[in-house]
Amino acid sequence: MSGPLYLAWRYALRHPAKTSILVAAIALIVFLPVGLQVLVGQSARELTARAESTPLLVGARGSALELVLSSLYLESRPPEPTDWAQVERVEATGLARAIPLHLGFQARGHPIVGTTLDYFDFRGLHVAQGRRMAVLGECVLGARAARALGLAPGGELVSSSETVFDLAGDYPLKMRVAGVLAPSHTPDDEAVFVDVKTAWVIEGLGHGHQDLAAPDAETAVLAREGSSITANASVVEYQEITPANADSFHFHGDLSAYPISAVIAVAPDAKSRALLMGRYEGENESQQVLRPVSVMDELLETVVTIQVYVVAAIAIVSAATLATAALVFLLSLRLRGREIETLVKIGGARISVAAVLASEVVVVLSLGILLAAALTLVTSRFGSAAIRALLLS
Amino acid sequence: MTRRHRQRSRIVPWLALPLALACSEPERTDAPATPSAEVPLSVWVVNYPLQYFAERIGGAHVEVTFPAPRGVDPAFWSPDGDTVAGFQSADLVLLNGAGGSAWVGRATLHADRLVDTALGFADRLIAIEAAPTHQHGPTGSHSHGGSYFTVWLDPWLALEQARAIATAFSAARPERADAFERGLAALEADLLDLDARLSRAARSFGDDPVLFSHPVYAYLTARYELRARSVHWEPGAEPDAAQWRDLERSRADPPASVMFWEATPLGATTARLTALGIESRVYSPCANVPARGDWLDVMRANAEALAAGPRPGRG
Repeated sequence: MSGPLYLAWRYALRHPAKTSILVAAIALIVFLPVGLQVLVGQSARELTARAESTPLLVGARGSALELVLSSLYLESRPPEPTDWAQVERVEATGLARAIPLHLGFQARGHPIVGTTLDYFDFRGLHVAQGRRMAVLGECVLGARAARALGLAPGGELVSSSETVFDLAGDYPLKMRVAGVLAPSHTPDDEAVFVDVKTAWVIEGLGHGHQDLAAPDAETAVLAREGSSITANASVVEYQEITPANADSFHFHGDLSAYPISAVIAVAPDAKSRALLMGRYEGENESQQVLRPVSVMDELLETVVTIQVYVVAAIAIVSAATLATAALVFLLSLRLRGREIETLVKIGGARISVAAVLASEVVVVLSLGILLAAALTLVTSRFGSAAIRALLLS
Repeated sequence: MTRRHRQRSRIVPWLALPLALACSEPERTDAPATPSAEVPLSVWVVNYPLQYFAERIGGAHVEVTFPAPRGVDPAFWSPDGDTVAGFQSADLVLLNGAGGSAWVGRATLHADRLVDTALGFADRLIAIEAAPTHQHGPTGSHSHGGSYFTVWLDPWLALEQARAIATAFSAARPERADAFERGLAALEADLLDLDARLSRAARSFGDDPVLFSHPVYAYLTARYELRARSVHWEPGAEPDAAQWRDLERSRADPPASVMFWEATPLGATTARLTALGIESRVYSPCANVPARGDWLDVMRANAEALAAGPRPGRG
């Protein structure tokens, strides 16, 4: 280390409070605009990438942002429910492939996503262990979900009951893990995927119970009239789907009316997309069709607008801070007048003394910039996840 | 991302760029494999008649898999998860589409690869009568009944299934459509010949009633206007006293002289029926792979059994 730089370094260490304050001030001046830019840019990229890969979303009329965020990120509050008929409606147009999403249930903190096999192909999700779900009651775990839950194919996972105090509501369903997906670095990594029919079983819309015509079910029968049997409350309904009881599981009523959260409509080209959107233009239309990228752009417009004001404020504060730092250095020089005079008297050339003082400024600036870089790195690692969590909360 | 957003986001791009590059995700390529005409069409089916039809139509251009074990009734068989995964891997899954194979409704399959071979005659399916209804909870009463599923016992419905299969094959492999049409034409000729045999055979009964051991012959009796009565007996089980009483009640006037079984009944049952003046004959629905011959052989043998007419010397 050269003489002036060594003396500057020793001076900085000799005055830790002053040095720390200056370094922190410089770091903040550099970090705030750069970190904000990285944060917003990265979040924008991530948000729009997921939205851009999802051509159209169909769902019940209501909050467009809620429909898009929950359908893309699978974590937020589910949107107003629509029904299975919307899947059939999209398919019937011949303009797009329909992929249903049933959201709202969780298993140990991970979202349960009811869908079809098409979702895996559409999102490019590959099975790393085991296989895709095949029969009622099976689930496939995202990579991070499997790691967090400590589960592998063959393991079991119980859905979380959403209606603890509603005895007639849904009951937890013990699911069997059929496979684990390879990491995709998307929200799919956190999800628990099931067939939409399994999601309906969790919701209590499909169920299996003992054969009421069998002799051992006599205690569960309230009345028999001809071929009609009325069960009492003691009828045994299964909370786990096994090969032994799978045949007893069934769904009542018209499946078209069964609830789902949204439909991803995968149109092959822009023309089909436009035509499909046109089908939802009626005044009395109960459904909405959205381009997720448009909704996300609107959200990002708001974020960017806020960012501009924040950056402007930061610029003003930065100018004031820089001025204060300069003042600190100048006042420091005045306070150190005798010290500088001594250096000159013991033979130090004026240029060397100036070099020592300049080195002190360089050391402080360098430390400040290094700290800012470290903070920016941390922001780039965790910032977008924090922003997404903020948006979805 | 809009132009406005892009402009605003270029505040300090030179500082953000290295970090952004460091944090970028690798691109994935997941283009689906394009089907090749050289690779046989992978077809999975839910019962043996569909396997037979598919093989007759597709020939060497299809690879048909029917995974149900021998000896079980495919209508009441449920595959395990690994077998369903096999169905998921198929290019096409042929469904009987007329009830039966209830597992399909509980399985996770590619909807666009399912071929409902009975879709063209859904309005002609025969509903199972007297399916028990039950009620539990607030959802009202419901029944787990459906339609009779042995549609292939009517050669005309079998032909419609075959046409649906040929159409699906041609859609999946347009370059092989001619071969599929030739396969269908040959099968159609055999089915029409079978129809002619069955028509002649059914006429031999005239107005005489016919007994069936199981209620799975609805499409046969409807097509050929047989005066049929069915009981619910299993060939491998001896009927109990109540079942014999039901038989007495269900015998028409004049009483039936022939009972058709899905498979050869127990000797004791045959003997007691003979004592009652009822001859036992086999009319196999052939839902699973037969021990000998193929589906057409079995159906022709059935036609011969029917053609024997009422028991000689009855009355």
